[in-house]
Amino acid sequence: MKTAELISALAADVSPVKPEAVMGRMAGASILGAIVTGVVLVAWLGLRPLGDAVQTSAFWMKAGYTLALAVAGFLLACRLARPGGRVGFVLLIALLAVVPMVVLSAIELARAGPGGMRPLWMGDSASVCSLRILALSIPVYLGAIVVLRRLAPTRLAIAGAAAGLLAGGVGASVYGLYCEETAATFVVTWYTLGIAASSALGALVGARALRW
Amino acid sequence: MTGLEPRLKALMVAGLAGDAAAYARLLAELGGYLRAHFRRKLGAGSADVEDLVQETLIAVHIKRAVYDRGQPFTPWAYAIARYKLLDHYRKAGARHHVPLDEVAELFANENPEEGAVRRDVDTLLSRLPARQQRLMRDVKLTGFSMEEAAARGGMSVSAAKVSVHRGMKRLESEVGDEDR
Repeated sequence: MKTAELISALAADVSPVKPEAVMGRMAGASILGAIVTGVVLVAWLGLRPLGDAVQTSAFWMKAGYTLALAVAGFLLACRLARPGGRVGFVLLIALLAVVPMVVLSAIELARAGPGGMRPLWMGDSASVCSLRILALSIPVYLGAIVVLRRLAPTRLAIAGAAAGLLAGGVGASVYGLYCEETAATFVVTWYTLGIAASSALGALVGARALRW
Repeated sequence: MTGLEPRLKALMVAGLAGDAAAYARLLAELGGYLRAHFRRKLGAGSADVEDLVQETLIAVHIKRAVYDRGQPFTPWAYAIARYKLLDHYRKAGARHHVPLDEVAELFANENPEEGAVRRDVDTLLSRLPARQQRLMRDVKLTGFSMEEAAARGGMSVSAAKVSVHRGMKRLESEVGDEDR
């Protein structure tokens, strides 16, 4: 087909189009994915006694940290869903989430002294925490990929990493409804590792799954 | 580059609202830039140039709902062209780096032949009165319809037609004189 013919064919096909509501779609996929993740958590591990947990600052510290990373992933995925989308200031949100956790961890470790550091770091579940978060990131990741495929990302690995960050952040937030670890050092190590693994895997998978 | 972004964006926005003529003009003009761009990247003789032009135009069309009217158009188009070029390299089994930030390069007019022709046309047109010159540019070069060009020049359609017709005659006779 000649290009001129193609152009007339394409132009003959124009009806008014509604702009894609990128954020709305991504939010829908995130919420739906979060609900599925919650159901999986309840069926798989159960919940911790939340009535007591919500009165502790450790619970909110964890939730704040993981939700901030989810928000950073959400905004990044929305930006990278369009051709020419930039990472921009959004990485700053992730950084702003990590820095206070590192500070809290440092204070905690200094108070505990050499003998008390190991329990803060390893807790009771260090060997399973990151992998569970990675597993719990799958529903939101799948939802975000479906949405991104419908849109037009042009930098696939980075868009995939953003979807992974979003999914890891949500997965870790949901996992916090079960996990009773309270140390900032534990969270900044193993939660972060789980979310980072979700982002890395998201980039690998996204580079292929997002082709259009 | 100046003026190109607002013009292409206006055509795109009109196309999104269902204006087929504006949309066809956008795709035609974009196609020209894409062809020159992909020729520079792949070599003028490459058989893949036209395929890439068409693939990119189809992508622009299919994904037009993803265009955010609050954002500039040329970087959006460049990102799609870049993506299609990388996709082409990947399928060919080669790894290439294509810069993220070469919007200006896509919309540059580096084709030397076109440049020379444009200069000749500019010289010729400069001999006409300013008002007629602008009208001729609008109709013959930019691609406005006679009605649009007349409205831009603030004259009636019939007056515009006569003016363009006389302008063409005069240019023809001038070129004829030079050739003799």
